[in-house]
Amino acid sequence: IMSGSKPDILWSPHHPDRYVICDSELGLYRIGPTGGSETKAGALPLSEETAATLLAINSDTPYMKCVAWYPKHEPECLLAVGQANGRVVLTSLGQSHNTACKELVGKEFVPKHARQCNTLAWNPVDSNLLAAGLDKHRADFSVLIWDISSKFSPEASVASEKIRLSSVDLDSSTVVTKPLYELGQNDACLSLCWLLRDPKLLLAGMHRNLAIFDLRNTSQKTFVNTKAVQGVTVDPHVHDRVASFFEGQVAIWDLRKFEKPVLTLTEQPKPLTKVAWCPTRNGLLATLTRDSNIIRLYDMQHTPTPIGDETEPTIIERSVQPCESQIGSFAWHPSSQNRMVVVSAANRVMTDFTVFERISLAWSSTTSLMWACGRHLYDCSEDGAEGAIEKDIATKMRQRAQSRYGHDTVQVWRNHLLAGGKDSQLKSSHMKQCAEDMELKLQGNKQAVVYSGIKNIVKTSSGTTESRRCWSGSDRQSDVPRYHSEERCLALRLCGWISRGPDIDVEIFLRSLEHEREWERAAAVALFNLDIRRAIQILNKGATADKGDLNLNVVAMALSGYTDEKSSLWREMCSSLRLQLKNPYLCVMFAFLTSETGAYDGVLFESSVAVRDRVAFACMFLSDAQLPRYIDKLTNEMKEAGNLEGILLTGLTKDGVDLMESYVDRTGDVQTASFCMLKGSPGDVLKDPRVQCWIENYRNLLDAWRFWHKRAEFDIHRGKLDPSSKPLAQVFVSCNFCGKSISYSCSAMPHQGRGFSQYGVSGSPTKSKVTSCPGCRKPLPRCALCLMNMGTPVSNCPVTGKSEEKVDLTRENKLAQFNNWFTWCHNCRHGGHAGHMLSWFRDHTECPVSACTCKCMQLDTTGNLVPSDSS
Amino acid sequence: AYEPFFVYSNTQTVDGEKSIVLCNLGILKCKFFSLTETPENYTVVLDEEGFKELQPSEHLKVESSIWLPLNVVSNGNASSSSQAVGVTKIAKSVIAPLAQQHVSVFMLSTYQTDFILVREKDLSVVVGTLEEEFNIYEEVGGESVPMLCQDVANALQKNAKEATRPTVHPVLIPQNQFCVMSLDPDTLPSIATTLIDVLFYSNGPKEDAQSSPSRDLDCIKFFSFSLIDGYISLVMDTEAQRQFPADLLFTSSSGELWRMVRIGGQPLGFDECGIVAQISQPLADSDISAYYISTFSFDHALVPEEDIVRVTDMLQNQRKEPAAS
Repeated sequence: IMSGSKPDILWSPHHPDRYVICDSELGLYRIGPTGGSETKAGALPLSEETAATLLAINSDTPYMKCVAWYPKHEPECLLAVGQANGRVVLTSLGQSHNTACKELVGKEFVPKHARQCNTLAWNPVDSNLLAAGLDKHRADFSVLIWDISSKFSPEASVASEKIRLSSVDLDSSTVVTKPLYELGQNDACLSLCWLLRDPKLLLAGMHRNLAIFDLRNTSQKTFVNTKAVQGVTVDPHVHDRVASFFEGQVAIWDLRKFEKPVLTLTEQPKPLTKVAWCPTRNGLLATLTRDSNIIRLYDMQHTPTPIGDETEPTIIERSVQPCESQIGSFAWHPSSQNRMVVVSAANRVMTDFTVFERISLAWSSTTSLMWACGRHLYDCSEDGAEGAIEKDIATKMRQRAQSRYGHDTVQVWRNHLLAGGKDSQLKSSHMKQCAEDMELKLQGNKQAVVYSGIKNIVKTSSGTTESRRCWSGSDRQSDVPRYHSEERCLALRLCGWISRGPDIDVEIFLRSLEHEREWERAAAVALFNLDIRRAIQILNKGATADKGDLNLNVVAMALSGYTDEKSSLWREMCSSLRLQLKNPYLCVMFAFLTSETGAYDGVLFESSVAVRDRVAFACMFLSDAQLPRYIDKLTNEMKEAGNLEGILLTGLTKDGVDLMESYVDRTGDVQTASFCMLKGSPGDVLKDPRVQCWIENYRNLLDAWRFWHKRAEFDIHRGKLDPSSKPLAQVFVSCNFCGKSISYSCSAMPHQGRGFSQYGVSGSPTKSKVTSCPGCRKPLPRCALCLMNMGTPVSNCPVTGKSEEKVDLTRENKLAQFNNWFTWCHNCRHGGHAGHMLSWFRDHTECPVSACTCKCMQLDTTGNLVPSDSS
Repeated sequence: AYEPFFVYSNTQTVDGEKSIVLCNLGILKCKFFSLTETPENYTVVLDEEGFKELQPSEHLKVESSIWLPLNVVSNGNASSSSQAVGVTKIAKSVIAPLAQQHVSVFMLSTYQTDFILVREKDLSVVVGTLEEEFNIYEEVGGESVPMLCQDVANALQKNAKEATRPTVHPVLIPQNQFCVMSLDPDTLPSIATTLIDVLFYSNGPKEDAQSSPSRDLDCIKFFSFSLIDGYISLVMDTEAQRQFPADLLFTSSSGELWRMVRIGGQPLGFDECGIVAQISQPLADSDISAYYISTFSFDHALVPEEDIVRVTDMLQNQRKEPAAS
């Protein structure tokens, strides 16, 4: 049983700052910002920003059951009140000087048999029509449509003999007893709403059925049996969508297939009291249940209409809590987006609340970020912080792709320069590849070993010899044992210390280091090759060079004092003071000189020293027992850190993929990963799903940046290294006469491009061209512009009319191939040489074939996109 | 045009005395409750839920079979040309055919609608009889489910005994005027004391006996209260009505008044069929509206005050030539 004082809220249809609360009486409020100059003492805070002021109270109508606000602009504050006895009274709030309003206020509409008025609905178009839904009476109608402009006409009523004006007050001239329409005999009406798609149609929630009454033919009605008959309401955005409810369940109906609900929402444990579509947002339904402090929202924005039987509708359900207390009722604001006023179940506490829209967020393929919230779209791009953008891997990759990083396949080492040349890891990995390539060229047969990494190379090491060499330029026998083997030699070469040849001479390497002014490193390498004099000479050179560091001379002096006497002061001081040297190479030099034989941890684990130098060092001074252990340890370290320098050790093996995986996890640099791994063996490494994933992602990135030329180059490069990645031909040109593919018979033609079919791609004009089908010898179609048969190279055909264009096409040699391609519109099927078509559509929108009005180019969604890289 | 037909949950009819009924007036959780006071006794009609709450008593006489209420729901098509409503409207389509099939009916008219109660065992016959003219639905948990009857032919044959000539019962037409009214359930508490007072503590006409002795002979005490599916219906005479606050009770805007025709000289029992038809048929022929309330002992028809003379004549004629129908 409904409580008589259950509050409800109605927004003024025309004043966005006014609403009425109805419980036992009607209260008109004005909402405004708090703290404004007009704030009065009586203002009730509704939110942090807004407050309400009570403008007027109306307690003239007792036993109120339902209220509806007159929809027209004037009179502005006219309300219809439905009472417990079924009477409908027009009343108003506040003063109105409108004469029309004065005439209407106080007017009463009385049904033949008294019973509760459950619902009221003004016709949205013909605002004189007011529909009232009443409880059941055995002899009466439950839907009465009153004409508020009608005058009381006693003659009409007296016509019925049964009327007796005794106890009931029909003497007043303001009482109307004759409805314009009477519908739903011997039935009960619980809810009403006029349909927006046709204002002559009234949807009514009757006892156990929903009925649509048509005022043009009141003897007919469309109805569907259902329990969900309460609170019928039409979606203001989708006029065929209706919501109704029964107890805890909301049913959504599509009036176009009014047989059963198109969907029912999750049932709530408590009965629903209000269901309302948001007027400012498409497909948002708010529901309230009894004794609840939350409002449940159902977002049907992305639910297809009509909802198909097969598809599972997508509804996003969530709830909001506008206030702490239990909610009596709520009302959406008519124009302010997603805003509502909520009134508490007790004490008329009001809250102004805006439902926050869910945010959807998207990264662009460049560095900007966009998010949508409600009707607003925010674009966020980093400004000022140049460094931050530069550090961003996406920006880096994009810049690198633009500078053709990875595309120099002849001089692989140059790629690190293309990448910007600042990253030592990249440099290292590319230098290594370069070295490998050199080896490859020279050795040919040892390919497998070369790519398998030093880790595997040293494992296969055998026949190691040990030698104790003298310090260069000194007679003293060194007690440092040095190891030699063919594999160790290969490793040294891969580390870049020695070049190919029987003599293991580091001099070339030293000179190149000197050239690059890497004095400390050069000195260290010289020292490790037991040439202490050369080391001192290098340091000296470094000190005296332009902008050289004079401290290098001091180091040279310290070095020259070297003694192998174990207990000397020199040894003692150097082994402790070396740690204060900032340059790691200087530091490891003294570590080497002060180490016990075979215990070179001070050198081997100095992480600031390049991996290849440490590995080369290890290959020279670690025994067969020590070396693999050290290499394994270092490999694992590199793999964990995702340090690209470690590729030297792992090679492009599965180990290498593991290493690259942690590198990609750390940096997101799929670009380097893709290029590196393409070099790996097609069998094992390229088939690794991780590698395929990097490659696909890199291609997608290039697509997203519209770097289509780069993408194509990458694909070509990839196709060369991994022939299995080449896509099969997907489009063939078939002869109109015999239906056979003409490309098929010329299978020697390399496949080029995707989505295009081409024929006669050879740029050479001298080559003979096939202009007829090789199968049936019938001529091939003609280009719509030059009228030459397909297959004829464009450079051969005389372009009539536009001599300028001819020059253009012949000059652009590169383009000539593409210009020869045959292309056609998928819509009108007209076509011709790609070059001709492109130039035609530069100035025209319609198809070049006369009488064909097809707007071919506009239909081509990708044809209008421009690549952002140049070829 | 088909008309749906509703069947409510099971209902039982009991007869009891003041004390029992009083302590059970609070049973508002049952969906079907009707209490009618007549000079002879109180008649209570209530559903099984309510019956379970009723304390057994030696004063309670229970009609042991289960009755199902039927309710004709108009689908709102073409408002009929006839002004008549209620029992009269369904006299030809429902009541007469059921009488022909020897189905005993118990009528209960309310402000909102007319219930025709039939015995559960007669259901298949009822469905078989009515399905030609109506769509029949069964109400299961608030949902209307189309009802299908399997052995209709059998049931119909079984009931088609040889027609016995219907007994013509004597009628009594008291002088008091009756109102049929309703009430907002929310305001029920505010009239509860008046209601209890009128039902159980005022002796009605007997108290007035001294002031107007003539009334005593011609008026009978009759008061009916029902609360069915949340809807309240009240039938009382104008004397009783005066005790209620005027603005709370719902009635017709024309303030129509009704006169009663009580059917039966001796208690009618529950088995005889065709009693309602006897009255409703001639009323339907003359297009006169009627309420009809059956009780444990007698049946009561209410007809518009202005039509009582026609009705009296009609019934007298019927008694003169009982074979006319």
